[in-house]
Parts: sequence; C-alpha cells; structure tokens
Amino acid sequence: MSKIVSRNVNRRDFLKLGGIGIAAAIVPTLISQQSKASSPLAGKNLAMVIDLHRCVGCGSCSIVCKNENNVDGDVFWSSRISKTTGRFPNVRFEYITTLCNHCEKAPCVRACPTKAMHKGDGGITKHDPDKCIGCRYCIAACPYGVIHFNAGKSHEFWRDDKPLIEGATPSAREVTQAVNGKVIPYYNPARELDKPGTGLRKRGIVEKCTFCDHRVSKGQLPYCVEACPTNARIFGDLNDPNSEVSRILGKFHGMRLKEELGTEPKVLYVRTYSTGTHPKTKGSV
Amino acid sequence: MTMRNETKQSGNPISEEELMNSDIKKLNRRDFIKAAAATGTAAVLAVSLTPTLKALAANNQITSPADEIGKWKPTTCQGCTSWCSKEVLVVDGRAIKVRGNANSKVNGPASCPRAHMALQQVYDPDRIKTPMKRTNPKKGRNEDPGFIPISWDEALNTVADKIMELRNNQETYKYMLMRGRYSYMRDIIYDRMTKIIGSPNNISHSAICAEAEKFGPYYTEGEWTYRQYDVLNANYILCWGADPISANRQVSYYLSAWGDASDRATIAVIDPRLSASASKADEWLPIKPGEDGALASAMAHVILVEGLWYKDFVGDFTDGINKFVAGQNVNESDFEEIYTHGLVKWWNIELKDKTPEWAAGKTGLPVDQIKRVAIGYGKAAPHAISWVGGGPVMQVRGAYASMACHALNGLVGAVDNIGGTLKANKEYTQSFPGVDDYLDDIAKEGKSHKKIDHRGRLEFPALNQKSGGGVVTNNAADGILNEDPNEIKVAIGYMNNHAFSCPQDERWFRALSKIPFVVHLTTNASEFTWFSDIVLPSTHHMFEKWGYVKVHGNGYRHVTLNQPVIDPVWDVRTDETEIPWLIAEKLADRGFDNLLRHYKSYIDPETGKEPTNGQEFALYALKHATHKLWDPEEYQAGDKFNGWEDFRSTGVWNSAPYPFKKRWGAMKTDTEKFEFYSETLKRVLGEHAEKHETTTDEVLSVCNYQARGEKAFVPHYEEPFTHGDSGDLVLVDYKSRLNREGRSANCSWYHEFKDLDPGDESWDDVAKINPIDGKKLGIENGDRIKLVSPTGELECTAKLWEGTRPGTVAKCYGQGHWVYGKVAAKEFGIIPRGGNNNSIIPADYDRLSGSTAYYGVVKVKVEKV
Repeated sequence: MSKIVSRNVNRRDFLKLGGIGIAAAIVPTLISQQSKASSPLAGKNLAMVIDLHRCVGCGSCSIVCKNENNVDGDVFWSSRISKTTGRFPNVRFEYITTLCNHCEKAPCVRACPTKAMHKGDGGITKHDPDKCIGCRYCIAACPYGVIHFNAGKSHEFWRDDKPLIEGATPSAREVTQAVNGKVIPYYNPARELDKPGTGLRKRGIVEKCTFCDHRVSKGQLPYCVEACPTNARIFGDLNDPNSEVSRILGKFHGMRLKEELGTEPKVLYVRTYSTGTHPKTKGSV
Repeated sequence: MTMRNETKQSGNPISEEELMNSDIKKLNRRDFIKAAAATGTAAVLAVSLTPTLKALAANNQITSPADEIGKWKPTTCQGCTSWCSKEVLVVDGRAIKVRGNANSKVNGPASCPRAHMALQQVYDPDRIKTPMKRTNPKKGRNEDPGFIPISWDEALNTVADKIMELRNNQETYKYMLMRGRYSYMRDIIYDRMTKIIGSPNNISHSAICAEAEKFGPYYTEGEWTYRQYDVLNANYILCWGADPISANRQVSYYLSAWGDASDRATIAVIDPRLSASASKADEWLPIKPGEDGALASAMAHVILVEGLWYKDFVGDFTDGINKFVAGQNVNESDFEEIYTHGLVKWWNIELKDKTPEWAAGKTGLPVDQIKRVAIGYGKAAPHAISWVGGGPVMQVRGAYASMACHALNGLVGAVDNIGGTLKANKEYTQSFPGVDDYLDDIAKEGKSHKKIDHRGRLEFPALNQKSGGGVVTNNAADGILNEDPNEIKVAIGYMNNHAFSCPQDERWFRALSKIPFVVHLTTNASEFTWFSDIVLPSTHHMFEKWGYVKVHGNGYRHVTLNQPVIDPVWDVRTDETEIPWLIAEKLADRGFDNLLRHYKSYIDPETGKEPTNGQEFALYALKHATHKLWDPEEYQAGDKFNGWEDFRSTGVWNSAPYPFKKRWGAMKTDTEKFEFYSETLKRVLGEHAEKHETTTDEVLSVCNYQARGEKAFVPHYEEPFTHGDSGDLVLVDYKSRLNREGRSANCSWYHEFKDLDPGDESWDDVAKINPIDGKKLGIENGDRIKLVSPTGELECTAKLWEGTRPGTVAKCYGQGHWVYGKVAAKEFGIIPRGGNNNSIIPADYDRLSGSTAYYGVVKVKVEKV
C-alpha cells in the first residue's frame, strides 16, 4: 500500500479513507502522475552557493530559518560552525554557516528503511513525516549533523500556562491564544500549505532543512537566501549553465564539506571568511 | 493540477482578496488533516464533498506564493539606533515575519539579525498586559513590589493626583521625566508635558549612549551628530572600536555593503578584542584600552612627516617643501591652509613628538603596524574613513580621543567627501506647537530651577555646543540621592531602564527607592519597574505605535514611520502620545487644563480637526510633524508623495542624495573651517570657565583632564584613567550583534544564537580571558568566576580565548537581568541570568561631553566562585 501512496496523500489519511474502495485504487496513481508532470522543479538540480567573503557571520539566515519553518529552540535547520584559531595577536575567527547539504548521494536517504527520507524534485532531500518511524538511522548516517530528532513535544516554551506576574502578564499559551496563532504566536502558516499538518513537527520523528521546498516550488527563494542581508547566499539550478550558481562556480572553486566522503553536497562554499590581504613577503628562514 | 483549479472547476472560485484575508490560522490541525483527506479524494469524489469540506479544502490548498498570504506592512525597527525602515508580514492580524523596507534608500531590503527578534518582543509572554500598582510600600533590590493589576482609570487618577499635589504646593520642579529610547514624538512627553507641568527636569538618556562620539566632530567641523560613511567609495576604512557589521549605526546597510566595501578598501579595526569586524579585517590592531589617542596622534604624525595629507583640502607649505620633521617646530607662516584651521599649531603643540615608536610603547602595538596603517590610510586620501565608535571615546577623558581620531578625516580630506565621512542630509520634518501660551506662573517658576543632573556646573561642563548644553544622564542618580539641587518627588520614566543600563547600577536602586512616587511606562517589568509605584504597559514601537524617526546612511537620510501594523496584543497605550494625552485629560478633570489645551492644538493638517482622544492625537501629531514630506503642496525635496496615505503606505521618505563637499569652507565652526586648532572649543570652554569665574586650566583640572594651556584646544593624547588599581584585568565591555539595546535578553533567539558574537557561547554569559592570563590567575575554561570592581561584582563563566588582549577581560553587555522576564532572569526578582557589566563599572564621566564612561574605566579582580 505505502508504495503507491503519492506525495499528496499521506499514508495515515489514506488509510482512513480506505473505506472508499474505488478512490483508494485510482486516486494515488492519478495524482502522482499529475504532480510529476506539473512540478516546476522537475529536471532541476538545485544548489546553494555560499560566498564566505560576503558572509559576515551575522546569523540572520539561521534566525529567519526558525521563523520561516517554525523551528523549535534547540533545533537548527540552519546552523553554523565557528572557531577561533592562532595565538594572540595572530588570531583568526572563522565562521561557516551550515544547513542540510541536500547531497546528491545522500547517506540519510540510503539509511532510511521506510523511504521517509527521499530525493525529491530538484534534487531536494526531502522528508516525509508520515513515513518516518523515528529510527534515527538517518541521523547516524548523516556526516554533517543536520538532522534533528524530536524526542518531546515541540515548543514547550509556548505551552507554558504560568504567568510571570499573576493577573498582569499573560502565560505563553495565553499569548498564542490571544492572537490566534498555532502553538507559537508568530507561527508561519505558509510552512504547511503544501502539506497540511507539517507546520510543526510531531514528537518521535526527525526534521531538517527542506531547501524551503514550500517556497521554492512556488518560484520563491529559500527564506535564508531571501533574508540574507549580505547577499552571501545564492540559489539556483546547476543544470542551467546560465544560472547564477553555475556562473559563480565557473569562477570560484566550490568547496564542499567533507568532500572526501563522496556525498556530493549541493551546498558549496566560495571564497574565504577572512577578507583581508597581507603585505608582500617571502618570509624568512 | 492544483486544488485551486479544481475549486474553480467545481464552481467555487476564491478571489485574490479572499486569499489574502483567508483565515488559515483558524484551521486547527485536525481540520487540516480532514482537509488533506478531502484533497486526496477531491479529484474523483468532488461531487460527494460537503460544502464545508470544500471550503476547507480550498483554504488549505492556496497556491499563491507563501508571502502573499497576508500583507507586508511598513514600519520602523528601533532595536538599535540604526532605525531601519521595515516591513512586517501580517497574517490575520498576526505579525509573523520582518524584512527591510526596500523603499528606504538607507537600508533597502537588508535586515540585520536582531530585527527578527522584535517578533519575540511583541509576543513576549512576560509583557505587562494591564496597568499595575505596587502593594509593598518598601522599595529595594530585595523588596518584591507585590504588583497587582489595576484599571487604566485608577492608574491615571493616581498619577494625576500626584502631579496636582506638586502643582498645588508650587513645587513642580520636583517632577522628573526620564527618557530612554525614543521616537521623534518624544517632545510631546519629554519637552511639552514637563514644561507645562513646570519642571526643568526632563532628563534624556543621551549621555549613556554616545555623546562623546559627537564631541570630536563638533569641535572640529561643527556637527554635533553621528556620521554616515561612504564605505562603497572608500579605499581605506579605519574603525576605532566601531564594529559596523555588529553594533554601530546602520548595521543593516553596512551588512549589505561590507562585502563590496572590503573588496575595494583596506579595513583596519582598532579594538582590544577580536570583534566581528576585526575578524574580517585586513588589519587588527589589538590596542591597550584607552590608548587610542596615542595611536591617532602617531598616525597624524606619520601622515604629516610622510607628506600624505590631502593638499586640496588642507593646503601646503608655501614653498612646497615638507617641513614636518619629527621633533621640530614649524613656522605657522610657512604653511597656507585652505579649508582647515590650525594644522601647524596642532603639529607644534601635540604631534611633533608623537612618533610611532612613542605610540608603540603606549598602545602595545608594533611600530611597523602603526606605520603601515598610517601610511596606508594616508595614501588612500581623500577616500579614507576614520570611523570613530564608542570604544575609544566613552571613556574618562574620551573627548580628546574623539577629536584626535576624528581629526584624521580632516587630514586626509575625507570630511564631506566621496568615500569619506558625511553628516546627515537635510530633511523637512517640523516641530510640534510651542508651549509659551500654556505656561502659567507656577510652571514658569518651576521651570526656572536648576536640573537634577548638574549639567553646566564647574565639574560637569557637558559642552554640547555650550556650557551645560548636554545631559549628564547617569549623574541624575546622585542628584536624586543628595537632593541636590532639590528633592525629586514624582518621576516618570519611559522606554528606559536606568537601573540596568547605567554604570554603578546600585546608585539607581537607591535613587529610585528614595523617590516617593515613580511611574514606569514599559513593555516589560524591568529593573526600573521594580522600584516603581505605578506601571503603565506600553505599546511595542515596531508593531503597535505611531511615530517617526530620521536617520542617515548610504548617502541618504530617511524619515520612517512607526506604525500600528497589528492591533495591540494587550490593553496597552503608546508612551509618547496616548499616555500624556490621558494624563492631560485627568489633569483637566482636576482643574488644570493647560496641557490638554496644548495637545488639542495639534490639529490634523488634512482635515483641520482637533484631536478628541489619545489615538487621534498620536496620529494628528505625526501627520503634523511630517506634513512637508507628504503634502505635495508643501514639497521641499527628496521623495514626493500624493498625500498622507501615499506616504503612510510607503512607510518612508528619502532625502535628496548627499551634496558632497558642500561644507568645505562653510562649516559651522567659529572659523567656518575644519579646526585642528579648535577656536570653537576655545570659546565654549572659555565661556564655561568664565561662568564659574575661573580659568580653563582649572576647569580641566577639576574635570580630570591632563591638558593645560593651548593643548586643551587641539586633538591630543590623554592617558587613560582607570579605577581599581589593585585589579587584575581591564574590563573591555562591548555590545552584541543581537542586542536590541538592553531589551533582548528575554528573547530565546538571543540565547540560542549568542555565539554569533565571536568568542561568546549560546545560553551563557562568558568573560573572555586570554589563556596567558588564565594561567597566571589559575582560571580555566568554564570556571564560574566573579568579576569584582571597587563598586560591585558580577558572576559569570570564564572562557579562555585568544581573541582577548592579554591584560584585559572582554565581556558583552546585555545579560545579567534579575527581572525583565522568565528567560532574562534566572529567577525573576532574585537571581540574574549572567552578569550585568554595569554592576562593576564605576559611575565616572567624560565630563566635557557629559558622557558616561563604559570603556577602559575599570580594572577588575577575577575570583573563582
């Protein structure tokens, strides 16, 4: 049964509808075909180029990611690796912003026993929460640590019922109720438009960056790209020789994280975080 | 095939407008699942769907681009003093996202990281939703106020009664208004209300901001303002303690420009710690705290000796031969200046001995680096920016460092020049109606008293353009405590938190406890609130308030509107407009209607109507102030609008582009030139001395400056003045790229992302110590430590970090709240999360500017807990 369930109908809902015999047999196939034919991302090879020279390590990408995708406190779909190296006064601080690499050869997809983790149109590594059984093989397989498991309910902070000052401040839950949000007051409903019920992630499954598939499928940029104030993130189709990502990678070496593992990440870094030059020298012996 | 097409086929089309207004959020999760089920079957079973399900299916299958759900509405962010024009995505009355307003030529679509946290502020669960009163009459750090909710009516009646008491006793000068962050609606509550009640005591926060940053520019080029920097046309950018990609002004703009700017310009950052900007710079100059003036003087020395000054601006030796030789005086008559004044005097009085070798001894920087940076900067003339941040100048004696660092711009002709340092463009907002007709005898008498902050006294010159022209914010605590010049009986504070943001915070604990009646207008119960009697919950400036601010960057100035883009979440009122109106009504009820009559004179420029309530008043006042920007008949320059609604819906007005070099020879100094020898300061300082019947040398001595005689009038080096001789390390305070001033700490994103400040850690407040010092002091990574100063202590976590200059300890400002909210405080009212730097910084001043000293001002002991 699960084999023929298309992207547009989740498994559990479909089972509910099992009683409607004829529909169950026909609908999935129909929709599956229709969706393939009409997918604006079909045939694309989507990638993100991150210009570390333009990046200033401000973290806007990671904050807006939480905002766009309703991501909980200790979860980061977009994150960072930073380190300070050297000895005073020859010290360097480096910062690399990270996210799911949407690997061409994604270890998480290979590891997933239920095909919850799968490659979608445009080469996006997608995750189907309805197929996820929470086994966490994907987390073990991912060399980049960008997949998160939800052990508990999301956004416990916003489910708190206790006010700070009785009668004078609301509780967290009261705020969300007052503004008619969904668990979080600034809940973004756009996240679940393509797949209702996925605006927040359930307990017992994994979650990760989707390249903002809900935006990209409508011709919009991933929100981290859109909101980056430095224009350090460039998004596009590697199959299109005229795309900005293709042009930039024609000019600069695209560094990929843990290249040696052969995962072929679709997130590529160009130039370096330290923008400075240095005086001419041959050094000394 | 999309669901929307299906709906159309099934004869139930949804208009674009309905889509925009669709009530997505009202669908709960179960509805969505039901709807999803419906979707799956819709293709085949459309006929069998009930109308209700069809509607649901239609709603959750909107195929318009996600951001077209809801509407982007313009407003303004005042999380820091960048004052960017913003847009907020509002879905069904709910604010869900923030972005830069592309209509602004200052910030454009760019948005810094901290702007997004405004969402967590407006929906902060710990916001006060109703007025409160104190039930515990005792006040103190350890006295729970026992706040209980009350009605607006009761709160306002109490406030009005207290003000009337002062009026009836003819002691209105015992009223005080403390202003924190503000929009330009400020004068309604700050100026007009205070004057009409009859008090001289409207005290702004400016001197805990960066007044010393304005001192240098004013006493060299006659502009008491912040600068804007033409970074995209610069060949050299020298940042003095400034961290433009984190925490100076126009952060969003500079974030968007920095990559291109650094492609072209050499960037050198002078800062004792490896700041974000330093981490991306060509040169990091990890200077000893407080020695910036030495480096600036040495740079000027090198530029002159090497003949690199910009001759089209400064002029040249009459015979064209450079006579600036280290250690040798120069004849003034040998040099012919063009747009500057006093270059040779500056050389003879200050610069001639300030060699790089001398400066190396003071600054701890290598001689070759000092020379290299000076020569690089000089060779880049005139497109060479010397960007003076708060670090070197918000120090004891910082006024002269401000002059010294800023004077470099004059030397290389960067002032008012392409790729240089610019003032603000002209704008055309207008002030609110005057108060003269509304001041009665009580008010006039009350207003004539001296101010509580002691500005203009011998020891507090605060020379904002004249003796006592500036404010000495932090000294107001001492004025209150000592009842000098008088007792304060009634105080109102708004969008301020002096009990957290002013150094030596415990003085404010005592001062506020001493005032019999304190009112706080605030969003959260802050440290200031803790000592208040009545608390009035305020609107959030970005989402719930009418107002405007003006600010400059990228060669433009914009005037951007604060707008109520959502209905207020709670029963809150606007601090600067509605609340004073409501107080005015209550005063009128009690027979004193001058304030209300004054406010009623703010008529709507469109309709000629007089305001009848606080909300109308706020709107009419704003339309009045910005009248010349939006009324085509009043058009002056810059963006042109068809009328108020056109302006409001755009959200921002942009000035004409910057008129470069227009001020060359027409500066607002006494000589109309860029003054290396400040005739302007000589006059103003002389006036101050004369007022106190003494000499300028005596003024300088009393105010703790080292200069005597002519040196007082040129940019020069003064040794740093640091408290705590027996301490281990000099405190290097700095500001986070996530600080919304002191108001971020209750936002979870602040803590989740605190490590975005180089060296800092998520969910922690770390004092960063160089491993060399760590070894000496026996401190290891992660140790809980106390930083102890002569005036206080704080507890935090130790972090050994190579980005800290040995001999210093770098710690970010922003945490250490013991109230404000559940996240900000570890235990509300009792235990702070992290430590507040202002607990260990002694209250001291750069007295010439009135500024509070934050940097290089204290050596602290480091103790393991």
